[in-house]
Amino acid sequence: MKKTTKNTVYLTAHKTDANQCFYTELEEVRVENPREKASFEEEVPLDKNLKLMSPTRMVIRRFFRSKLSVVGLVMIIGLFLFSFVGPFIYHAVVPGLDGNGWQQDEKDESGRWEQTTSEYTYTVNGKEYTVYQTLEKYEKDNVLAKPSKLHPLGTDKSGYDVLSRLMYGGRVSLIVSFLAVFIITVLGVIAGGLAGYFGGVIDNIIMRICDILMCLPGIPILLIVGVLLNGWISKGYFFISGESRIYFLMIFISCISWPGTARLVRGQILSLREQEYMVAAEAMGYSTFRKIFKHLIPNVMPQLIVQMTLGLGSMIIYESTLSYLGFGVKAPNTAWGTILNLFEEQNGFEIAMANPLIWVPAGLCIVIAVLGFNFVGDGLRDALDPKSRR
Amino acid sequence: MLKYILKRVGLSVLILVAVSLIIYFLVRLMPVDFVAANAGMNSEPETLDKIREQLGIGDNSFWGIVKGYFEWLGNLFEFENGFITLGRSFKLNNQPVSQVILQGLPVSFIVALIATIFEFLIAIPLGITAATHQYSFRDYFITVLVMVGISLPSFFFANIFKAGFGDGGLMESILAKIFTEGSSAYEFFSRFLVFPVSGTTDASQSATGIMGILGNLKYYILPIFTITILSLGGRMRMTRTNMLEVLNSDYIRTARAKGLKESKVIYKHAFRNTLIPLVTTLAGLIPALFSGAIITEKIFGLDGIGTTALNLTNNGDIPFIMGYNMFLATLSVIGILMSDIMYAIVDPRVKLK
Repeated sequence: MKKTTKNTVYLTAHKTDANQCFYTELEEVRVENPREKASFEEEVPLDKNLKLMSPTRMVIRRFFRSKLSVVGLVMIIGLFLFSFVGPFIYHAVVPGLDGNGWQQDEKDESGRWEQTTSEYTYTVNGKEYTVYQTLEKYEKDNVLAKPSKLHPLGTDKSGYDVLSRLMYGGRVSLIVSFLAVFIITVLGVIAGGLAGYFGGVIDNIIMRICDILMCLPGIPILLIVGVLLNGWISKGYFFISGESRIYFLMIFISCISWPGTARLVRGQILSLREQEYMVAAEAMGYSTFRKIFKHLIPNVMPQLIVQMTLGLGSMIIYESTLSYLGFGVKAPNTAWGTILNLFEEQNGFEIAMANPLIWVPAGLCIVIAVLGFNFVGDGLRDALDPKSRR
Repeated sequence: MLKYILKRVGLSVLILVAVSLIIYFLVRLMPVDFVAANAGMNSEPETLDKIREQLGIGDNSFWGIVKGYFEWLGNLFEFENGFITLGRSFKLNNQPVSQVILQGLPVSFIVALIATIFEFLIAIPLGITAATHQYSFRDYFITVLVMVGISLPSFFFANIFKAGFGDGGLMESILAKIFTEGSSAYEFFSRFLVFPVSGTTDASQSATGIMGILGNLKYYILPIFTITILSLGGRMRMTRTNMLEVLNSDYIRTARAKGLKESKVIYKHAFRNTLIPLVTTLAGLIPALFSGAIITEKIFGLDGIGTTALNLTNNGDIPFIMGYNMFLATLSVIGILMSDIMYAIVDPRVKLK
């Protein structure tokens, strides 16, 4: 039936955990004075007024009803397109000097003459003399260029194209944070699932490990590991290189930040395992593995998805902070945080003040990414919450 | 209650031992060789080995590291002038680590304390109005503000502040354009809108300690603002969620049904109950107050504990790294324990066991 009639009653079928019994629940009733639209004689039968909605569709509807979550989704999709599709479009539009666009590791070596005039004042026999000295110098790299058709956002202090590096930098930041969240979730689900299901000694051991990991001071530990990896790179251990350093760092972060997820999973499973459908699963003689990962974990999924989305935001912050401190990917590769590392370099503040286009877009990209993930996460939380009726 | 506390303290000690083991192994794996980096160019390898042996970092095998750990543990509780040393720093001429930490602490503490006070003063009223006007424009505005607050990376925001209001920043050049430099109006406005961004002391100031910090307050204004705004979001969200939870409870409906004034319902009945989680987080603030904000301190050039930690970590000063990290870990253990105890004290419904 058409959606234009407002007197629709939405009925939703909920599958319960046991997959056995169904019950229906009134999602919402919107009646806009039906008498105006339909007279008593031609009243529509009730079953035609009914519309069945799956829980998934309900969640999607609720999610899209909130403006903030849509804004967040647009931000994230935009950033993904920007960093993964963007370079192709950019290369097609701006061919650069060699005709295939600016790569992230391609310096603008067009060169230019640079003039610097300095002024000296001397006092000889009470008379003041001013001497002007002009130096002309040929710079091989076109560094710190102002925005032009060739470089929409100019070039940075090594002569790299800023916009191109912004796009490629996004790839590193996004991939790295997805990787970290994936590892955190896997570790957290396994640890939390085992702790919640078995209880007793196993629970105690896993929870104490969680306590220990939660007491590790975050940034100071990362500093230690960053210095450690730098040393290993210089000694050539374990195939670590400047490019892969940030991946190893993020794996380390994941290995110490799973307790949050584990606690969430454990808490949910503690209450779920007492439910009747678990007794049924027990009676069916299912294996422990199947009971945990097929019957219990799927029921934790909604909370897990929310946790993962919010986790993506915080991982991007971690990644960019580490890159900012100089533990990120090595030049000529780049990431958003690495671009901001400019401030930590010699005369960085003066260069940054004179050329805000180098660093402001990178910082904004980080903020937009984190904001987008937080908006989506918050929207998902509200949409997945069965208690919310809005 | 006492039994519970004792049990928790015992457990905390075990946790701290485990944490120290993890950190010690990580630090010892660090190939930054403090001895080689700080010895003279033409030192004999044998001399270097001797120095390493004296410092207890000579043997890099597994059992050597274990032995080094116990040596470190032994040095931890050495006393000097009736004060615990927590080991002695390599880099800073055998200075006790506790003294190095104490030197940076006042700056970090004052900045964090003022920032926390501002944070509470701003976040709690905003959080409450957002909750009482749920789904209104005000609520959405504050929600977006919260999100922006928790999404800002500290280094970006601090640098924006520095570029905007710091010495040689945007605000200074704007002021220079409006007024002539050196005029009284320029001086007046720049006093309120332009702040120094490096160092923590004025040459004209001679006072040290807390008084010195208060005298040099202008050096701390930008860091304080940065930390306040970065932590505001989380606090607002917490207040809003708590307030909403309380507002949906039955006794609030009863209060309204009795015909109480709305202000009385909110401030006398609801707000007092939202205070419970707020008070317990006060105890959780202990680590944040003393640990120092490494990145903010580095960017604004404050010589607090965070900057010291950053420098000495890069230098591989093992006793200091261990002492500082264990100091932080101890604070967070105390914070968790205190907030649990506070919870039981504030809310009589909670029973600790």
